[in-house]
Amino acid sequence: MTLGRGAGAILVALWIVAGIFAPFLSPNPPTMQFELPYAPPMRPHVIDADGGLHAPFVYPVRIGNLLERRYEIDRSRRVPLSWLRDGRLATTTDPAAPLLILGADAIGRDVFARLLHGARASLGVALVACLLSLVAGTLIGAAAGYAGGLVDEAFMGVADFLIILPTIYVVLALRAVMPLVLEPWQVFWLLTILLGAVGWPFVARPVRAIVAVESRREYVEAARATGAGPVRIVVRHLAPAAASAIATQVTLLLPAFVLAEATLSFVGLGFVDPTPSWGSMLMDAGRNVRALADFPWLLAPAGALIIFVLGLHVAAAEAGQIRSTLGRGRYHVTD
Amino acid sequence: MTRFSRAIFTALLVVALGALAFLTLRQKNFSPADGGAPGGTLRALLRDEPRTFNRYLRSALNVEELLAQLMHERLIRVNRATDQLEPRLAEKWTAEEDGLTYTLTLRQGTTFSDGTPFTSADVLFAFEAVYSNAANSAIGTAMTLNGKRLDVTAPDPSTVRIRFPSPFGPGLRILDGLPILARHALEPALKAGTFEQAWGLTTPGSAMPVLGPFILEAYQPGRTLMLARNPRYWRRDDAGRSLPYLDRIAFEIVADMNAEVLRLESGATDLIFSDVRPEDYASLKRLEDQGRVDLADAGVSLDPPMFWINLNPASKADDPRRAWLQSLEFRRGISHAIDRDAVIRTVYLGAAVPAYGPVTEGNKTWYVADLPRYAYDPAAARAQFAALGLEDANGDGLLEDKAGRPVRFSVLTNRGNTIRERTVAMLQEQLRKVGVVLDITALDPAGVIKGILSGAYDAVYFGTEQSSTDPANNLDFWISSGGFHVWHLGQKAAATEWEALIDDLMRQQMATTNLAERQRLFAEAQRVLAENIPVIYVAAPRITVAKSPRLLNTMPVPLRPPVLWNADILAVRSGGAS
Amino acid sequence: MARTLIRRVFRRLGFATLLVLLVSSSALVLARLAPGDTTDAFDARTPEQIAEDRRRLGLDLPLHEVYGQWLARLIRLDLGTSLKYQRPVSELVGERSANTALLASTALALATVVGLPLGVFTASRRRGLIPPLVRAGSVAALSAPPLLTSLALVLLAARTGWLPIGGIGTVWHLVIPALALALPAMGTLERLQAGALSETLHERFMVAAVARGVPDRSLLWRHAFRASLAPVLGVYAIIVASLFSGSFAVEIVTSWPGLGRLMFDALIARDIHLVAGCAVAGSCFLAAGSLAADAALAWADPRTGEAS
Repeated sequence: MTLGRGAGAILVALWIVAGIFAPFLSPNPPTMQFELPYAPPMRPHVIDADGGLHAPFVYPVRIGNLLERRYEIDRSRRVPLSWLRDGRLATTTDPAAPLLILGADAIGRDVFARLLHGARASLGVALVACLLSLVAGTLIGAAAGYAGGLVDEAFMGVADFLIILPTIYVVLALRAVMPLVLEPWQVFWLLTILLGAVGWPFVARPVRAIVAVESRREYVEAARATGAGPVRIVVRHLAPAAASAIATQVTLLLPAFVLAEATLSFVGLGFVDPTPSWGSMLMDAGRNVRALADFPWLLAPAGALIIFVLGLHVAAAEAGQIRSTLGRGRYHVTD
Repeated sequence: MTRFSRAIFTALLVVALGALAFLTLRQKNFSPADGGAPGGTLRALLRDEPRTFNRYLRSALNVEELLAQLMHERLIRVNRATDQLEPRLAEKWTAEEDGLTYTLTLRQGTTFSDGTPFTSADVLFAFEAVYSNAANSAIGTAMTLNGKRLDVTAPDPSTVRIRFPSPFGPGLRILDGLPILARHALEPALKAGTFEQAWGLTTPGSAMPVLGPFILEAYQPGRTLMLARNPRYWRRDDAGRSLPYLDRIAFEIVADMNAEVLRLESGATDLIFSDVRPEDYASLKRLEDQGRVDLADAGVSLDPPMFWINLNPASKADDPRRAWLQSLEFRRGISHAIDRDAVIRTVYLGAAVPAYGPVTEGNKTWYVADLPRYAYDPAAARAQFAALGLEDANGDGLLEDKAGRPVRFSVLTNRGNTIRERTVAMLQEQLRKVGVVLDITALDPAGVIKGILSGAYDAVYFGTEQSSTDPANNLDFWISSGGFHVWHLGQKAAATEWEALIDDLMRQQMATTNLAERQRLFAEAQRVLAENIPVIYVAAPRITVAKSPRLLNTMPVPLRPPVLWNADILAVRSGGAS
Repeated sequence: MARTLIRRVFRRLGFATLLVLLVSSSALVLARLAPGDTTDAFDARTPEQIAEDRRRLGLDLPLHEVYGQWLARLIRLDLGTSLKYQRPVSELVGERSANTALLASTALALATVVGLPLGVFTASRRRGLIPPLVRAGSVAALSAPPLLTSLALVLLAARTGWLPIGGIGTVWHLVIPALALALPAMGTLERLQAGALSETLHERFMVAAVARGVPDRSLLWRHAFRASLAPVLGVYAIIVASLFSGSFAVEIVTSWPGLGRLMFDALIARDIHLVAGCAVAGSCFLAAGSLAADAALAWADPRTGEAS
């Protein structure tokens, strides 16, 4: 691995920290609307246009042509950054010249602030839903694979049913019986439980496949011969064998869950303004193909998601290496 | 080079330049009267698919109306650009003294695309079909005044007499909404009780003779729809050439706005289905500078999106917020709290005008500029709220009512409409600044419509499209018993005095044939509405139409369809892609 | 042996039929329970006309009767008439399914042919710059929303003019949607294969194989690859399902007239018969994918076959 040990965990931790400390790290409130729609990202400077050295500052942007979205940098005016003011790490005190590190969205909100705050809702839902899927999927998959026969087919039948059942229908019908206004925490738990419920088959299927193979292996037979019960065999021997597949599957589910929030919001179950989420930010950007070419900063959540998932992959792979080293050791001892 | 050859060269150069100048000038003088180059294919896009080709049936999709305009002809047309009546199948008409009866003389020698002559019997059939129960037609309802049908007779094959049951302001403008379909092809189905299945989507174009400029050539569901020139179309240009100029209109069915713009950009289409979104303007402007796209300002939209609070007392009977939520002061306060210019600068990128009523400046005949306005003024908003006893008692920056409950209500809007979603997000922030909490509930379109019809909502941000400028065609909105009287649906009798007053004014203006008097009455109705603001308007977008430069003779209008309404005189520049 | 095999096939087919029935029934019931129906609109119709429409379309019936009628028709293999398009559902679904099947199978083949070897590559080559790059590429492909991927491809095509940007007709029209759909699946397969293979490579029988002196390459492909296929094939059904769910965005952007778009339109229009019809088609695809994956699994690892 070229990234070095611990890099994965660091990438993952980075976003979790970013989410937790979002209000401190973002220069502006995520709901604040500056009249700078689609303003480009700004760079803090220390050297001005004439080569003079200053404390970090930004040049404000000015609208050249609104309809054509041409912005000009106003180099005649330096707006110094204020540090640790109003509970924010760095910000500007001039409301006409906000610090927009990742530019502004379609209604002039700070994309960077929304990215950090959105990590809370999006990663929160995705991580908890992943955890639910993981626990339920591993248990059900292992039970199905170990027991085989009718139990297996029944469990996998349910799994197949959930995989193909279009979740959006469920949500549409569900939404009808819920109150019109949902508080963000209600949305959070509804989404988590729903995604967990439709996500477990994605873990259960590979686990079942591995356990079905592993449970015929001689070391399991040996364990059984020594009088180990099925629970012990599954937990001690079979589930660990599926660990790598589970880890991979979770890293596949996570981005799917983040994006699912945006899709489900179409039928009314998702985070609505003013709560930012990565899914809805991407959905808004994706409505306009220009976003890709003309204001790529709107795609920041996609970048953030990729970094997060990459970190998760690397962390999982590292954990896998450690585990398999230990595992080999164990086999040598028992053999 | 000899002097002689130099002279020849110069002469040739002069001739060449002259020819070039001549051609350029001809190009410049290109006008509908001139005609341009006949032939060629116009490539356009459809966003949705038709459900039927029988326009008399209940369906009312945009795409069906568009196809009806391309394939069928009307007796009289309202010119979308001038808003004036134009003779079409009816060559001329006279009004009788009673103001109720009109005699129309039909155009002689007009035939359907299969050669069958067009006569007054076709007109009688048209009325019979739209009034029949089998069609269950929205056109039939539109052709009904106060529940009474028009009395239509045909003294001879080229004359039709239409008698209105009561005086009707718009008069024969009503006929713009009635395409004439072929009696000889449809009557058997109507008689046999199979009218609903007649002219379904699998019917070949040859079985659907038309009077309009184009015939259906082929339809592949989900993919393409081809219209071919009707060689027997009645209309000719000033030079006597038969119309339409185009040989063919090839529609591709594309359900996505991004895909539409990209097709225009790559030259795969000549026209997009609807107008340009503000966020697409910048890149299309760059293409226009390169000469690859033409942009045209079609004027201010006739349909500003609407923000309204549920004013049905029954649906808020048990709601403790009712006292303030349904009050006039609250609506005025909300209107004062909305910074329309900020919304226009941000959401519309400047391409809109502030709107304070349902009739925008795009509607030249009926727009009234000096109506009461509750414009942006946060202090006035707070004063209105204070008059209702809504004040910030606990100092959290948000208002509470007398019982200490937060001033908070929800707004229903549909997901997928970026402009509306963004506007609502801005309203939420603007209302928060005056201490009012607005919760956003975004549902899919069917969910929103169901919410409105069931009355289980606080407020809605929604929009519709209309295809008519005349208020008599929008009675559903104005009259208290109307089906689009959205803030309080299902009224048996007018619930408030001001609604009764509007009902009265609208009925009067509908029954008046004098235009100036109608304008005065309608202005009065607009004034009453503006004072009571049951619907709060924010902005009316400017409509920009984008098309390929090879498409000529366009006259973009802010109505639907913006360009294809005059398809019979559209032409394409030859030599381009076809 | 042959008789047990036949019994197993029949049992699996029975389960698959049950699955199709359950999914389509749920889709119908759920779509009926969703608020609103096709007749809700603001147009110039009178309440009587609306009531007439509702009666004609059978929307005034209680849910159990709607379901009963639908089921009775389904037994005769009649999926009813679409409320939105006024055409037989089987016709609509048939036409769109063929398009979707073409798109999905192309994407699946592409993802398999590229994804699996890449997974073997990244798992067996631990050094160098390329494996981490492939891994990062896979992660990017599988975490990027399909909507953005297809928009990016379409934008590229529009700017360069290399490929037609939408519609259906020639092989070239297939390139962009298939690629957009295949990318996330490719990333998924690469990651799964790499994960499974690196697990297998550490296992004892591989250690034993090395001890027996089996040459490196044959070891990788003949033993490890085949053994590592079990978990990968175990999720093939899921990948088939994700091709369907991901195809909606791709179909919209590239104007591919497929099942995903039809299903979504049906849902928005509350066209319950069409919703159920699409669910029938979709679950048939998944059931077929699941059966094929199980058959492949039995081939790759005969022990699973004996087990169940």
